[in-house]
Order: sequence, then C-alpha cells, then structure tokens
Amino acid sequence: MFYYPFMQRALIAGILLAGLFAYLGVFVVMRRMAFFSDGIAHASLAGVAAGVLLSLNPLATALVASVFFALMMFWLEKKTNISSDAVVGLIFTFGMALGVLLISLKRGYQPELIGFLFGNILMIKSLDLWLIGIASVLISSLLFLFRREITLMSLDREMAYLSGVRTNLLQLAMYIVLAISVVLGIKILGIVLVSALLIIPVSISKLISRSFRKLVIRSVLCAEAIMITGIFLSYLFDLPTGAAIVLTGAVLFFAVFLLRKS
Amino acid sequence: MTPTLIKINHLSVRYDGQVVLKDLNLEIQKGEIIAVVGPNGSGKTTFIRALLGLVPYEGTIQIDGQPIRASLSKIGYVPQRFSFDRSIPMTVGEFLALSFNKVPVKKLKHALMEVDMTQYEHYQIGSLSGGQFQRILIARSILNDPLILVLDEATSGIDTAGAKSFYEIVSHLNKVHGSTVILVSHEINMVYKFVDHIICLNRELICYGKPKEAITKEVLEKLYGQDIRFQEHRH
Repeated sequence: MFYYPFMQRALIAGILLAGLFAYLGVFVVMRRMAFFSDGIAHASLAGVAAGVLLSLNPLATALVASVFFALMMFWLEKKTNISSDAVVGLIFTFGMALGVLLISLKRGYQPELIGFLFGNILMIKSLDLWLIGIASVLISSLLFLFRREITLMSLDREMAYLSGVRTNLLQLAMYIVLAISVVLGIKILGIVLVSALLIIPVSISKLISRSFRKLVIRSVLCAEAIMITGIFLSYLFDLPTGAAIVLTGAVLFFAVFLLRKS
Repeated sequence: MTPTLIKINHLSVRYDGQVVLKDLNLEIQKGEIIAVVGPNGSGKTTFIRALLGLVPYEGTIQIDGQPIRASLSKIGYVPQRFSFDRSIPMTVGEFLALSFNKVPVKKLKHALMEVDMTQYEHYQIGSLSGGQFQRILIARSILNDPLILVLDEATSGIDTAGAKSFYEIVSHLNKVHGSTVILVSHEINMVYKFVDHIICLNRELICYGKPKEAITKEVLEKLYGQDIRFQEHRH
C-alpha cells in the first residue's frame, strides 16, 4: 500500500501531525483547552467553505480563518466579562453557521467538503504536505524552545507571571499555534474529529505515567501508534480516515484503562 | 541602621470603584520578618498582590530602589492556593526545575533539604498533602535566593502543628539566607512570636511596629471589634 504516492503523503503528514498533536495535547489538557480546540476546528468550516467557493486552497483559507477566530477569542476574553467557554461557544457556532451559509451558495454536491468534515487520506496533496511539514517543524520547535514557560503557565498562570513569563503574549501565541495545528489536521481527521488527537494520546499516557517527562514521551508514542494504525485500517477496509484513527485511539484508551485496572 | 528594602508611598487599591486599601505608607527593612494581619476582607491579600504587581494600584512601590516588574526575580512567593490540575503526573523534582532555566540539581536538592522534604523529590505533586505541598512551594520560592519571601496565608488548611513547623522553617530561612519575609496571616496568636514587625490592616494601616508595642487593646478593637482577646501560644 505504501507504493501509492497518496499513501506516502498521508503517512508522512500523519506521523508529523501525530507528534505535534500529542505534544500540544499535553498543554491543552493541562490548561483545559479541549473545547477551545474543538471550537476552532468547527469554526474553520467558514474558511474551508470560503476556499471552495472562491476556488482557492481550502486548507490555506481555513488557516487564515482559524487564526482570525483564535485572535477574536483572545480579544473577547480580555475585553469582556464573558466566560472563556461561552466565548468559544459563540465563535464555534458563528464559524459553523458562516460555513454552512457559504456552502449553500455553491450549487451541487461538494465531495471535498465531506472530506474536510470527516477526513480523507486521498485529499493530502503535495502542497498540503509541504504546508503541514513546515508548520509542524516550526511549531514543534517553538513548543520545545519555550517548554518551561508553557508548562509553568499551563500549571498556574500567576506563578508563571511571577517567574518572569510574559503570560499574555504566550497565551496569545498558544491560541494561534493551536488554531494552526488543528486546521493542519483536518484533512486527515476531519473538522468533526480533529481535536480527538489532542486529547486521546495524553489521556492514555496519563493512565500509565508517573512523571511529566514520561507523560510527554508516551503521549507522542501513543499518538504515532494510533495514527499509523488508523491510516492502515482506513486503507485496508476503505473506512473514513478520521473515524478509523479516532476509533483506534478510543479502543487503545479503553484497553489500557482495563488492563491497568486488572 | 538596617537599609530599607521596600518603600511604599500612598498606596491605594480600588476594585470596581470600591476602595480596598487606602493611602498606605510603609518602609520595610532588610532581613526582617513581617506579619500582615487583619480580619477577613481587610485588604491583606490585596496588599500582597499589589506588592507583586498583580493588581493595579495608585501610589508607588519600590523594591531595592527599583519598580516591581524589575524586581520580580528577587521575590519568592508562596500563594494561599495553588490551583493546579492534581491529576497531571509531575514529580516534585520536575516541578521545582520549572522555576527558572536550568536549575542545578545540587541547588534543587538543597532547597528540598531546607524544608525537610528531601525524600519527596520523586513523589508526584498531586499526591502530596496540603502541608507538604506548601513546603515544596517554599523550596521553590527559595531556589533563586530571593531578597524577599512573600507568604500569603500559606498555613490555611494546615493543622496547628503543621503551621508551627511551617513558621519554624520560615524563621530558619530568614536566619540562614537573610531573606526579608512578609507573611499574611489571620493567626495573630501564632505569628506573634515569629515576627519582628507587624502590619495591621483594615482597609487602611491600623498599626505598624514591633508586635508587643503595636498590638494594643485599641488596635485589636479596630481590627476585630470589641469582644476580641489576644492570647499568646506558649507551646
């Protein structure tokens, strides 16, 4: 199966994204930002729809839209007394509604949109792979470089500030990085399921780790195993890729949970 | 004469237009242990938060002749509550290593020894009791040899024996490191014998001085009302 170029592209993109999502997922879980990532993914439908409508690369337009929505969430959280989850809920539904409206303007069946919603390995083009590769390496490097500051802020924002961390700037950077990463994953996992890869590997790893270092390493290993197995199963049984990957992760989670209990 | 470390001029703090602290003027000397006491809602925690630059305020605060933001690295802080996700697997050693870039292992072990927690280096922070975690927070706060150690009601939720041992550690650190210690407490009886000076607050400065001189019947009445009695712990 690895003879086919589309499978090679899907695997390379999957391996890069799995590592990034696992590492990022540790901080998402620590900062309880799971809903944020889900919200950004769903809101990015507006960007995808705009891309399809204007005959532009939907991944590129989704990236622009997701960064815009992330900035909007940050700004609303700072400037209003609305709780964070309410702000995410607002942007989530606004982006989705805008996406649905834009889709309705394009007549006829849109197979590409279905692929974006549920993930499709056939959709990873060479340009997408370059985009995913460059962004993954850049974001992973940033996360690694500022790992102390990000970990500290994820534990306690005030403590981070008092340790000299520029918390506002770092939080904004995390929002943007998370928004970009989530959108990069939608071609494989789909808008609906992409945030699962931020949550499942770290959740499995939490069950079996007793130090932060092990939590990070095992999250990355779990994510890679889930991604490769999911893509393989998707190809073998002609299943929707996103669903195959997420279900593989969920099965692994319950297996580890039950084994650990016994 | 001991040099002045913290100089506070006309400090006022307002929340939503309400005055929480009004026109505080204070000078705190190097190497002292200071207790900030007062009833609930008297502005103790607000005072500490202003001192750390965590709330907007009017007036000026200078630490070692510099504004707060430039002095944060000289302050060790032990908060009243540290609300982290206790399910995150992180060892005490890993937690302490986050304090600043490249914490030397020797320094980390020494800080743990100072708070009598050496054997807990590989324990998960989420598995520690409140008292044990407060000690770890003290160890963290002394890692960069702070000029000032700020403790905000750090013994709340700890039993009397634990609180006593906590104050003994603080007193030891003050003697060994020469750090100026500012501790907020509602346990006026407990802090009495550990501190050099006492700051009494009730939205404004009620008293400042040596405990035996500053705590008078009138001061206690201004702080806690007419029915309050002061009793020093003798154990």
